[in-house]
Amino acid sequence: MLWFFHLPQLWTALLSSLIALATLAGIMIRPFRWNEARVAMSGAGLLLVLGLISPKDALFTLLRDWNTFLFFLGMMALSALAETAGLFDWLGVQAARLAGESARRLFLNVFLLGTFISMLFSNDATALILTPIVYVLVTKLRLPALPYLFACTFIADSASFLLPVSNPINIIILSHHPLKLSAFLRLLLLPSVVVIAINVGVFFFLYRRQLAGSFDVERLSSPREVIKHKAFFRYTCCVLAVVAPAYVAAAAVQFPLSVVAVAGALLLLAGAFYWRSASLRQAGKAISWSIFGFIAGMFIVVRAVHETGLTTKFGNLLLHLSRGSSFGAVMVGTAGAALGTNLINNVPMAVLMNSALASIQSASPGVRQGFIAATMFGCDLGPNLTTVGSLATVLWLLILRHRNVDVSGLDYFKVGVVVTPLMLFAGAFTMWLLI
Amino acid sequence: MRILCCLDGTNAEQIGKALEMFSAFEPLTVGMLHVTDTRPREDMDLVRERFWRHPLHARHPPAPPEPTPRPSPREEEISEAEKASAEEILKECLSYCGGAETMEREGRPEREIVNVAAEWRADLLIVCSQARYRMKEEIGPKSVGHVARFVVDHAPCPVLLLRPMARQQFPINR
Repeated sequence: MLWFFHLPQLWTALLSSLIALATLAGIMIRPFRWNEARVAMSGAGLLLVLGLISPKDALFTLLRDWNTFLFFLGMMALSALAETAGLFDWLGVQAARLAGESARRLFLNVFLLGTFISMLFSNDATALILTPIVYVLVTKLRLPALPYLFACTFIADSASFLLPVSNPINIIILSHHPLKLSAFLRLLLLPSVVVIAINVGVFFFLYRRQLAGSFDVERLSSPREVIKHKAFFRYTCCVLAVVAPAYVAAAAVQFPLSVVAVAGALLLLAGAFYWRSASLRQAGKAISWSIFGFIAGMFIVVRAVHETGLTTKFGNLLLHLSRGSSFGAVMVGTAGAALGTNLINNVPMAVLMNSALASIQSASPGVRQGFIAATMFGCDLGPNLTTVGSLATVLWLLILRHRNVDVSGLDYFKVGVVVTPLMLFAGAFTMWLLI
Repeated sequence: MRILCCLDGTNAEQIGKALEMFSAFEPLTVGMLHVTDTRPREDMDLVRERFWRHPLHARHPPAPPEPTPRPSPREEEISEAEKASAEEILKECLSYCGGAETMEREGRPEREIVNVAAEWRADLLIVCSQARYRMKEEIGPKSVGHVARFVVDHAPCPVLLLRPMARQQFPINR
């Protein structure tokens, strides 16, 4: 409608910002039980209808981020098909068998397995696939479930900056602000190790009482039992043995990682068809299609805000706060990304930071790299603070509890508040030493 | 006398021994209760929502025109594991007290225990101070877990709190 009117720039900026804020609030509140994709797409649709972003700009924004969309697709399909092959169940049983009846060693193995899965399949696979597997495992073994569940949930994020593919947030940011693999590893590998070590150490201390026992290995399923189709399982292992180095090689030569993920998923899909282990419908059901609508909506909404110059101002503010030093860049980048991710969730925050970081191109290479790495670090690890999504969710849980409704989820928050600031600070400090 | 015993998967022997003390009571009805904690499932669903996925276990029933979704294989596996574990725990306890009435519930263990005690008209509740995951016996405020603490505070009948023997930790400071 506003196509026909000429509005002063201030009004368009105000209107775009209001729609963006309403979209973010809608994603958290989910009015009329709408899902997040519907809310984000409605925000984007409103901006288009009001002429606050042109259809050409919106289309260009979406096409520019094809790598992100394709990576989400490949990553989800790869994890779902590996799950169909029984790979994660098999790894879970092996982790328990190698623990030698000790609850402590099983706890450590869950951390190691979570690290491995996050590194290769992204944090989604650890949080969504490994967690229920570990829950079934510890239920069978009559061990206390919560420490193991928390270990899976936290390590999913703590180990999500070992490689660019360890978290789709990394792909969102790296698609706009590329970093060489050597720079990525130089800045984030050691902080990853530090963060994982703190996570493991603090959890061992917190749950030392519950983990003091042992379990009866006879209660475990045999590794063979969990493999539904032996040939498909072996084929899956072979494909993944190729995909893992291909990820590293692709990241090293700046080749789109989404192509590797999708190619790996297609190979697994072909195998699943050949051994009749999964149909296209089953594979399609394992993918959360609404995520694409959500990300597309967010890209368009943030693009409209970017046009107003607000995100550039936010970027300039971050640069000003960092005082142009690499230490400032790392600390401000980490704190800003981590706080934002807990306020509005990590995907919207990563998209917002992408836009804000556009204004730091003129900064020195050290500051620029510091900001990019710290943004990934903060957006990846930040969610461990509230774990259940955002502060809005925590507040909602607190209100429910105040009304004497017994809620879970707050236990996550209690642990997150203790361990996450420590991990964020130690990781950021290590990163600064490496710049 | 109606005695309700609360099982946690680690206390069958301890409860069996305690019940021997009441063998002289006539008539004696013993109930064995196992509650599957639903909090881990709720926690997993919260994490799923954070990753923009639909929860595994629907918190709200679907609106009338919507059919109830078929549980996913993983959801079925979780339910089966919980059910099998609960049945195994109850069966194990029956070896210490044959003829007891067994009860399986789902929910918050502490709340289910006191509610079942009231519904079942228990005259006595037997509960252990906490699940025994380790052999070392401890005394002190942390030796009573949150479930036992809640049951002691909210029980509709007398409660027998079973603590492990810990004489070797005495004398304590006077």
